[in-house]
Amino acid sequence: MTSLTQAIPRRICWAYLIVPLSVLLMYFCFATQIRGEERHRELLIGIEPEHNIFDQVQRYRALAAYLSDQLGLKVKLTIMSRYGEVIQRFRSLRLDGALLSSYTASLAIRELGLIPVVNLVNPEEGSTSQGYIFVRKDSGIKNVSDMRDRSVVFVDPATTEGYVFARAFFRQHGIDDLDSFFSRHYFSGSHASAVFAVLDGRADIGSAKNTVYNQLVARDRSILNELSIIATSPEVPEVTLCLKSDLAPEVLEKLRTALLKMDETVEGHKVLKQLAARRFVRASPDDFAVVSDMAEDAGIKMLNGSSNR
Amino acid sequence: MKASRRYILFRLFPVLFLVLFFPGLATGKVLVGVIMTGDIPYYGSMHEAFVGGLKKKLPADQDVQFILQRPFPDPIAWSNAARKLIALDVDLIVSYGAPATHAVLFEKSNIPVVYAGVYEPQASNLKGKSVTGCGYRVPLSSLLRYFKRIRDIKELRVVYSSTEEDTVRQMTELVNLAQQQNINPVRLDIRSHGDLKKLKSISTNDAVYVTGSSLAHIWIEDIVTALREKNVPAVGIFPDSNEAGMLITLFQPPGQQGETAAEIAAKIIGGEQAGNIAPELLRETELVFNLAEAKELGITFPIQLIIEATRVIK
Repeated sequence: MTSLTQAIPRRICWAYLIVPLSVLLMYFCFATQIRGEERHRELLIGIEPEHNIFDQVQRYRALAAYLSDQLGLKVKLTIMSRYGEVIQRFRSLRLDGALLSSYTASLAIRELGLIPVVNLVNPEEGSTSQGYIFVRKDSGIKNVSDMRDRSVVFVDPATTEGYVFARAFFRQHGIDDLDSFFSRHYFSGSHASAVFAVLDGRADIGSAKNTVYNQLVARDRSILNELSIIATSPEVPEVTLCLKSDLAPEVLEKLRTALLKMDETVEGHKVLKQLAARRFVRASPDDFAVVSDMAEDAGIKMLNGSSNR
Repeated sequence: MKASRRYILFRLFPVLFLVLFFPGLATGKVLVGVIMTGDIPYYGSMHEAFVGGLKKKLPADQDVQFILQRPFPDPIAWSNAARKLIALDVDLIVSYGAPATHAVLFEKSNIPVVYAGVYEPQASNLKGKSVTGCGYRVPLSSLLRYFKRIRDIKELRVVYSSTEEDTVRQMTELVNLAQQQNINPVRLDIRSHGDLKKLKSISTNDAVYVTGSSLAHIWIEDIVTALREKNVPAVGIFPDSNEAGMLITLFQPPGQQGETAAEIAAKIIGGEQAGNIAPELLRETELVFNLAEAKELGITFPIQLIIEATRVIK
């Protein structure tokens, strides 16, 4: 009995194998190229949620349209469901980049190797923000020892100004275990909500971002009569656009240039106004060293999705 | 001789201990007199928590009897209720609200008094060797702030009662706050049901702020009905337990005050001097939005406002 291989001449056998393999190889090369081109015809940028995501969508829609026009490729924006979700979303949604607050930016740079491209400059001419720890003036709280058995509201475990700073501050004052020192603690989900919670008496102590706090004060000066700030954090970048490192360098540069020069065009000005921003400035990985230091002081291991509460 | 000494030590010592540290137990029964103004649900919840809390704090076999007085919010009725309890020689008087507490203290008896539901007790001048308790504070400005975010207010009617000292203080604070916010404050003093007629002059652009007045809360449904006819919203610092139709309420949960009063009362029954127990001020609040009422009034709550609520009535 002869085997099949023995029956078919060796030369024909090779031909049968080489031809389909070549076709397959060519298909894969071509398909990958097409997919790469398709990807660079569209950029998907994630945004962290703010107090009112409906307003947020409206504000960022103008930016997406402007960038699409400037770059000649479709820029799409997607709002992530909560702070700290950036790592999962980069993987599941194949995001090309995201506008991130300092803690998640720091995490994404460290874990995903993202490149910080630009920082947003706010109307007060700052590209940074600080954390505030605040109380009601009539609460009788003047220092940390007065805070025992009182309630505290944070923003989210993945915010520098609304959690990490406060944890570092409390730790410096000997408070490691929140449950045994405070009567209760909870997360409000937004900086503005943390301020309102303390104003209303729903929490005794709050931690939130200074820019949001100051905006609320600008709208209602009576807040100044009611709240007092107990501690202020070092400055951290407020909002940073971070992009994936495997993005085509020319796309990354084009995007960076478009954003840095936005304030030089009339159309760009309109978009910046809608974003409540002055302009964008160049960002650097060094900007985030302060965040890592603060997390270390707080005893927080910077983990995917959140910090250890 | 030795046997009689042993008898004294083992039989009489525990009795002496009980007499010294639990005088109520020595007599076998503790009589607690309670003054709860009207049938106001806020005080009702407070009293329920007080009774439950006190039973938990005292030994299971301790006999506690409550004598409940529900005077109408009126100085004479409060005074009569206080006198009745003093005449009954109760072991402890518990009073809810500042006016009831003032009525008891005015009688100058030696019976220890525990108060609860008093707005800012330190400002109420509730001092004495036999008085202590717990009160609350609600940031009145917060309700005004939320109110302004849902509609423009030209005039703010502040419902209070000049017969209730703590509501006068609330009214004064609100008048100042309204003026700071460029809102015209109008004082609406309720002393009788007939005073509710004053609500007829209210206009659609106005808003009503109901203080912690017992009189106002006895007639809260009549107030809300009158306001609904004019499409005017009302906010207040007592929970709208019967869902009469207050648009926003920001209040200190009454159960917490009832439990705190029970802790204090248990200490007094256990032999501590009332004057040696520091009064407590409770500040934790709950914020409730009534979206059903908002719909009736044609008011839309912005989404960023709704998320602030502890509870939403739909």
